[in-house]
Amino acid sequence: QEVTATGKVTDKSDGKPLPGVTITLQGTTKATLTDASGNFRIAVPSAGSKLIISQLGMVSQTITVTNSSSVNIALETDVTALGEVVVVGYGTQKKSNVTGSISSVKAKDLESMPINRVEQALQGRTSGVTIATNNGQPGSAATVRIRGYTTFAKDGNNNPLWVVDGVIVDNGGIGYLNQSDIESIEVLKDAASQAIYGARAANGVIIVTTKRGKSGLLQINYNGFYGTSAAAKTLDLLNASEYATLRNEAAKNTDPNATLPFANPAALGKGTDWQDIIFNNDARRQTHEFSIAGGGEKSTFYSSFGYIKQEGIVASPISKWNRANIRLNSTHKLAKWLTVGENLGYSHSVNSSLGNTNNEFGGPLSSAIGLDPTTPAIETNPDLISKPPYTTPNVLRDKSGNPFGLSPWVGQELINPLAYIQTKLGNYGWDHNIIGNAFAELQPIKDLVFRSTLGTKIAFYGDDAFNPVAYLNSSNIRTKNSFVRNWNNVLNYNFENTLSYSKTFGKHNANIIVGQGIYLDENVKTLNVTFNNIIANNFEEANLNYKPVSADRTADGNDGTVHKVNSLFSRISYNYDEKYLFTGIIRRDGSSRFGDNNKFGYFPSFSLGWVPTKENFWKENNVINFFKIRGGYGVTGNDQISNFAYNALVSSGRNYTFGTTDVSSIGWSPAAPSNPDLKWEETRQTTLGFDATIFTNFTLAFDVYKKKTVGVLQYPTPPSYLGVAGAPAQNIGDMENKGLELELGYRKTFGEFNLGVNGNVSFLKNKVTKLATGKLFIEDEAQSFQGMGNITRTGIGHSFNEFYGYETLGIFQNQAEIDSYVGPGGTKLQPNAKPGDVKFANLNGDNQIEAADRTYLGSPIPKYTYGLTINMAYKNFDFVVFGSGAGGNMIFQGLRRLDVTFANWQTDILNRWTPTNPSTTIPRVVEKDDNKNNTNFTRRYLEKGDYFRLKTLQLGYNIPKNVIQKIGAQKVRVYVMSENLFTITKYTGYDPEIGGTVFGVDKGIYPQARSFMVGLNVGF
Amino acid sequence: CKKDLDVNPRERILESNYYKTPEQAFSSLISVYDQFGNQSGGYLTKLNIFSSGSDDHYAGGDSPSDLGDLQAMNNYTVSSLSGAPSYLWGKGFTGVYRANIFLQKVEEIQMDASTKNRYIAEAKALRAIFYFDLVRIFKNIPLILKPVETSDWYNVLQVPPADVYKQIELDLKEAIPNLPLTVPRNTEGGRLTQGAAHAVLGKVYLWQEKFADAATEFADVNGPSPGTTPSKYGYVLMSKFEDLYKLANKFNSESILEISYNSTSNMGWGNVGSGEGNVAGIMSGPRNYNILIPDKAPDYVSGWSVMPFTKEFFALIHFDPRNKPTVANLDSLEKAGIVTYKHANDNTGYFVEKYAGRVSTKANSGQLELNFPYNLYEIRLADTYLMEAEAVLKSGGAVGAGSRAYAALNAVRARVGLKPVDVTMDNIIKERRIELAAEGQRWFDLVRWGLAPAKLAFKGFVAGKNETLPIPNGELNNTKIVQSKEWGGTK
Repeated sequence: QEVTATGKVTDKSDGKPLPGVTITLQGTTKATLTDASGNFRIAVPSAGSKLIISQLGMVSQTITVTNSSSVNIALETDVTALGEVVVVGYGTQKKSNVTGSISSVKAKDLESMPINRVEQALQGRTSGVTIATNNGQPGSAATVRIRGYTTFAKDGNNNPLWVVDGVIVDNGGIGYLNQSDIESIEVLKDAASQAIYGARAANGVIIVTTKRGKSGLLQINYNGFYGTSAAAKTLDLLNASEYATLRNEAAKNTDPNATLPFANPAALGKGTDWQDIIFNNDARRQTHEFSIAGGGEKSTFYSSFGYIKQEGIVASPISKWNRANIRLNSTHKLAKWLTVGENLGYSHSVNSSLGNTNNEFGGPLSSAIGLDPTTPAIETNPDLISKPPYTTPNVLRDKSGNPFGLSPWVGQELINPLAYIQTKLGNYGWDHNIIGNAFAELQPIKDLVFRSTLGTKIAFYGDDAFNPVAYLNSSNIRTKNSFVRNWNNVLNYNFENTLSYSKTFGKHNANIIVGQGIYLDENVKTLNVTFNNIIANNFEEANLNYKPVSADRTADGNDGTVHKVNSLFSRISYNYDEKYLFTGIIRRDGSSRFGDNNKFGYFPSFSLGWVPTKENFWKENNVINFFKIRGGYGVTGNDQISNFAYNALVSSGRNYTFGTTDVSSIGWSPAAPSNPDLKWEETRQTTLGFDATIFTNFTLAFDVYKKKTVGVLQYPTPPSYLGVAGAPAQNIGDMENKGLELELGYRKTFGEFNLGVNGNVSFLKNKVTKLATGKLFIEDEAQSFQGMGNITRTGIGHSFNEFYGYETLGIFQNQAEIDSYVGPGGTKLQPNAKPGDVKFANLNGDNQIEAADRTYLGSPIPKYTYGLTINMAYKNFDFVVFGSGAGGNMIFQGLRRLDVTFANWQTDILNRWTPTNPSTTIPRVVEKDDNKNNTNFTRRYLEKGDYFRLKTLQLGYNIPKNVIQKIGAQKVRVYVMSENLFTITKYTGYDPEIGGTVFGVDKGIYPQARSFMVGLNVGF
Repeated sequence: CKKDLDVNPRERILESNYYKTPEQAFSSLISVYDQFGNQSGGYLTKLNIFSSGSDDHYAGGDSPSDLGDLQAMNNYTVSSLSGAPSYLWGKGFTGVYRANIFLQKVEEIQMDASTKNRYIAEAKALRAIFYFDLVRIFKNIPLILKPVETSDWYNVLQVPPADVYKQIELDLKEAIPNLPLTVPRNTEGGRLTQGAAHAVLGKVYLWQEKFADAATEFADVNGPSPGTTPSKYGYVLMSKFEDLYKLANKFNSESILEISYNSTSNMGWGNVGSGEGNVAGIMSGPRNYNILIPDKAPDYVSGWSVMPFTKEFFALIHFDPRNKPTVANLDSLEKAGIVTYKHANDNTGYFVEKYAGRVSTKANSGQLELNFPYNLYEIRLADTYLMEAEAVLKSGGAVGAGSRAYAALNAVRARVGLKPVDVTMDNIIKERRIELAAEGQRWFDLVRWGLAPAKLAFKGFVAGKNETLPIPNGELNNTKIVQSKEWGGTK
């Protein structure tokens, strides 16, 4: 006798009703869906019939219908995640059918995490990706490398391609995204999956999909947190009496008869702690995110508002960041065959940046490190104030009229940070970003979908800066104030059309997609004006309504050269019974950056998979529940080089003055010879891997890959004797990245206790295998440091930009050692040395120590990176621990200015060589560095970069349902968390995580903050 | 489809569309002159490099580590990795390349034949000047006379110095007939003339110790009666020594070859060396210059105290009439309580006056202190007078009272009111040192006379090594260039 079964389906993890869950009568095709409140009703033949409750991404359940009341079913997330859908570019695939290497991060992993930028969402959560924040300035970008490096061209870059809802967003612009809008992030790591993005995919592709509403259910969410940040570590620098003692010693070491600069070092005491002056121990931050999602039968929407306000921990008045976001995503099913919609994100940010965030030349950090502790922050001694240099015009003063201390010893760019802050106060940068697309989907017949998407990035950005008249020190004097305004706008777009056809016949499942795209970017227009001598003393007063004489008004501007790409692409996916899997891709790209001989490039790939656990011979067991072997090969490209690099150009600016007219005559000469054969860098990659579920609760993904880039674009620096200003770009380098990646997951429920563990580890080996004919190395992209010159070199057989310098043989302990240190000809190798100086290894065995004695000292690229997340929940409590780390690399510790003889030292100098302290590593202090103890780059400057950082620790409490139901809420959760609670490392600088062209060159990086926050999460 | 990928090249001018018009020929020629006045992005100039190496000056600067490339010249720790060799090498060969490309391309340009011939002559004379510096400074250099094909970039070889000198002489001799005798000062001052080319040729002979040939060239430049009537190029000594250094007197009657600068190219900190402002103005100024008594104090700008004179040099010039126009005596100004300044590295209190940056000569645009319009003398008449006297003396010519050599030497002295002296090497050496102080001649003179090891020993000069600079290390990498044996190589 027919009965009606009713029930309600909820999500076990948060108790929320699940709409759209399929309820199928077992053994039939009869089925229904749950409504917005998770309720269903279905007629079944009799009590005892079985219903299958299933939802993608959740573990299906089977229940038996009884006569009596309605049933409550709580579905659990499918830990094996194999039911999950993965975004693969122009479509999705079931994770169990994916044959490429793709790592995903889902919205759930990011919920209420203290993430400001999308890069942070990936760091430590995916394998194969090396990420280091560029610096700790709030809102600053991170350096992202997917499976190593593919280029070393000087105008090329290794940044991945970001695709947000189908719109290609430039690497710098990705900061506009609000993390709570992210539904999923997919990292396409192997060529087999990247090839669909062809010529721009060699550095990897990151696809971000934002959230969309679901029919029938209105979801309102608020998440916010508030907290305080401080530096986790400051450097140990010499105090005033230590500094003076060393200065005296240095003077004596230089000239035994010298008058000592400090008569009584001990009397100076501690002196000024410049770090204390610039670091803020209570920098505030807050984040608020509010979203509404829902929809009816025909239309759905997701809209959100986000706001972040954060102060930097260094010189907070000139280091802060605000960002507001609005998003509107909606879909409208206008007819059975027509769907239209849009994804639109807007962001506005305002920031003040203190300038040099990893640079020894200026800025509060390098000044605080270098300034001598004997100079007071503020000079109050009336005797001194009445004398030079304090009587110099425009010396800056504090509120009570006392001048900021001027160091008699340390000059150049190292400036009293209090004065520096005063000259930058109020200056800010701003941006507006509108990034989004509109789409239409036509489905004329079942299985066939035509989709057309028009995407755009519209951005406006600029900055305002007032530079007051100021005497900061003898080399930083401004006698004319200036007010500078920069304005830029960008209008980029892309237009893509795809046609996809899916068919299932028997056990054969096939999907084919063909598409076409046109892209235009770098469409930038810039204007800037400078007004000098305006009637203003500070930023508040400055504006462009003061009109100085026209000679004091200058304006400039630029028009960007646009970059165009035209593409055709196709992908075929086929599987037989989800057991034998195949994907093939081909893309043809044309780029405006290449000459006629090579305008177009072809990028094919294929990948195969086999799921033996689906074979009949594989008996079902509890050890290996699922196993898939996959592998593929593909070719991708990179066109991230200058425009017109293939062409010979002549340049102006080679001017000279004739006669007494006092003006330049304009001269022109060739910039560089041409190379019409310039073509794409090509990256060929082979990947082999497997995915598995074992012992029901463990998931495992393993990959090994070999990636070879051929024809790396280079501008081989020609010898100077040729006199040419530059070389044409040529395809002459090869580079290899090999690696291994492992992702491991575990999830289990023990009664009321839920445990989830996710870990990943990646190993990477990068090696340059070929350079221009006859070249063993290049230094085009080399990092340099003050008087040392280049400190890195890219050489065959070594990794990209390896450190390159002198080996040392310790310290000369006495004159006899110096005298006996001779070359084969008996010549003294270091005639200028004195006891206490560094003994450099004579590697080439000739009669002198010079450049040819240098060697490779280690790589700045981390050999391994890893991450670990542990989620725990018990009753109403939840707890997250998330940490990540990297290691196997070297960091160049360049915190002391070598060209500022009298700059302060770190306390390790207290262990320097003296006749009574025969150090073997730290040379004596001396004013004239004739032996080049400091200016020869040696291993003394290199330190191990290994670190592990506990990035997030979060403890949450869900207020019980019966309490919150009174206010109609579904969920009220309060939490406390910390960010960057501790870092385990032996590195002696501020922060071992250093992004940039080369990881691991520390010139006084703005360190990342340690924060403590409290938060609230409310859902209706 | 291809056409859709065309983009507007904006300001870029393709080489294939260039070198078509007479104007473009001229612009190309200007790019050769540009290298003659070139200053490095790191504030290096031929003047401050060799002044730092001489016994007239110290490198100076704020501290012993400030402007390290000049300190390395000062204390003879210069190496193949130092900035000075690399800058000078690049400056010279870039000039050579620009001359070569000009000479290659100008052939195809349709234009008036005599103008074209003049341009070609200027380019050849400039190429000779670049090679003269290169061969003097580095000795073992390649001789490149047309742009090198890409395939041969790494196959270029060095040649014996004698071959380079031969080419220099050839270029100058080919240039002379097509150069103008004189040029209009206001519009073309600074462009090569016959007189300038003869003067350079004379100096080239002098360096090769071809004294008789040198004397002939200088006689041509100096005219029939040195010190009295203008030569056929209009050269005659300025009546007042101090007028040589006034901005209003650019390209005066004594100027033969002058490096010119201006105040309007808007050079800033970010593009030092790319414009036409003279950085010597700010560099040589006293550091932290601070005026106590405004009426009495000169209006120097606060500078970087580079190139302070040595005490030994000051003692020599102290009671010479040329002292005041040559030396900015901060020591006495400070002692008189008129000014204060920072006693920076190797301070003596004696700075360069000849082109000291002043508030009154500061530029009006750009980074003001980087855009001083002072010109610098490469060769002036007093110099060729003294060189003629030297050439005649060494070639055994007449040097007694009434001779040309005697007249030339003593015209220089008479101009500042000094009594005549005999033409002896000692007198010439002393006269050149004082007359041409801070004009970049001293170091080259000492090397030419073989006196450098003795005079510069106190700075660390090593005989048989420091007469040249090492070939920059970067030039040896991946090329067939070999380091000079004085610098550890085999050449």
